[in-house]
Amino acid sequence: MDGALLSDTFVELTDTMVAGFDMIDFLHVLTNRSVQLLDVSAAGLLLADPRGELRVVAASSEAARLLELFQIQSDQGPCLDCFRSGRPVQSADLAAEAQRWPRFAPVAREAGFAAVQALPMRLREQVIGALNLFRAHPGPYDPADIRVGQALADVATISLLQERSMRHNDTLNEQLQTALNSRVIIEQAKGKLAERLGLDMDQAFNLLRDYARTSNRRLSDLAQAFVDGTDTLTSLTAGTSQPRLGGDGHPRRPAARPRL
Amino acid sequence: MTYNRRARIWSLVAEQAAIRGGRVSAADACVAAVAAVEVTGAWLLAASGAESGHLMRVTDEVSELTAELQLTLGEGPGPDAAASGGPVLASDMGEPEAGYRWPVFAPAARLAGAAAIFAFPLQVGAIRTGVMGLYRARTGPLSTFQLGDALLFADTATLLLLDAQDQTASGVAESAGSTGSGPGGQTAELTRHRAEIDQATGMLTEQLGVGIAEAFIRLRAYAYAHDRRLSDLARDIVARRLWLHPDPDPRKEEEEQA
Repeated sequence: MDGALLSDTFVELTDTMVAGFDMIDFLHVLTNRSVQLLDVSAAGLLLADPRGELRVVAASSEAARLLELFQIQSDQGPCLDCFRSGRPVQSADLAAEAQRWPRFAPVAREAGFAAVQALPMRLREQVIGALNLFRAHPGPYDPADIRVGQALADVATISLLQERSMRHNDTLNEQLQTALNSRVIIEQAKGKLAERLGLDMDQAFNLLRDYARTSNRRLSDLAQAFVDGTDTLTSLTAGTSQPRLGGDGHPRRPAARPRL
Repeated sequence: MTYNRRARIWSLVAEQAAIRGGRVSAADACVAAVAAVEVTGAWLLAASGAESGHLMRVTDEVSELTAELQLTLGEGPGPDAAASGGPVLASDMGEPEAGYRWPVFAPAARLAGAAAIFAFPLQVGAIRTGVMGLYRARTGPLSTFQLGDALLFADTATLLLLDAQDQTASGVAESAGSTGSGPGGQTAELTRHRAEIDQATGMLTEQLGVGIAEAFIRLRAYAYAHDRRLSDLARDIVARRLWLHPDPDPRKEEEEQA
């Protein structure tokens, strides 16, 4: 394990007091560093919405994001079990879990995952979510990895719940809802850019993210400006009236469209 | 569990409309929230885009005064919620933090009788339709359950405000509380299948040459008119199996299928 990266990560995960704190960025640090530091292939994170649902707030890959979504939709899987019990849930071999998770296990294997470890995001009695660590090969997780993974989840939870005021739950909920709305804005912007340039959603996202980085703007601010038309992202969209071929395997919009 | 919770909110809103004797509107969500969330009063500000908005409904004098103060001063939980896209939960307007944040509004709100104020942006991503405000005469936070209900009332009010903006969606509003492709079903889908629906909405701004709010209205109206699940429809649009395109007659949607 990369000790320097680990200590940097702990610093990153306690750095929630900065101005312009972005909860989505923060949680992406948690999932991405989990993959870099631990022997896992992908990580996904669910947080509880006060509406009574779990929401996917971060994932290290699209496959992990879809698998988290699938757990919510099918109301089954290790992340849900972990959230409900507040305890770690593990499967060293998803091929043997047809009875435990009849809907989740086959979908996870299809997505290329053979083992899973879910860790609670918990402070005392309060469980705010769960971190899922997926691995492509079967076999038990290294206990040291589990300890570090749980420590990362704990530090992130404490950082999110820390008392910036007497009302730390209110603050967490304000930030979560703001983050969820930012997520929606980004998806809307992806759709608009993808349609304008003939891209798939991943390509559109990468373009937006890179543009935000190089222009040193927050992704959600850029997305908002693009969607409401106050920023046309001229440098991105200029000279691209000819749709490019996307890499998503979907057919491009045909030149002559058959009418029904 | 959650589905029942949404259905319960929708039926409370529909009930309120029945008492009033009108079609279900966002104002009914605002009024119904008062008893359900156990607050003293509520207001609803309708505002699309950058305009400051107009007060659509207040439930009592304190909520009217509180809402108007925020409009006049341009500060308070309401304006902050609209700007951030997330709720602002001020459970004690007398605490120093509230005073720093809203130096003029905080003492004025307490004088008016609002000891705690909870403001909810009525937004779907970049689509802005207004703000719903709740106040209590006594300080104290919302419980998690009350907060959840308040968010669900805000979700409901957002969709109803959007529907009111465009008559192509008038049929959608009438089916409030139904379990199919109507808003009761659509709100549940909106949280569970979020990403595809949002991506499809963004794509439709280009296909139809309209703003984001209009694109979302058209998407939902199409799903309703064709009795399709919003998420399935969105998936088809994102996968480029289905295109909508501009039509001068909004009631006659045209589509093409690949």
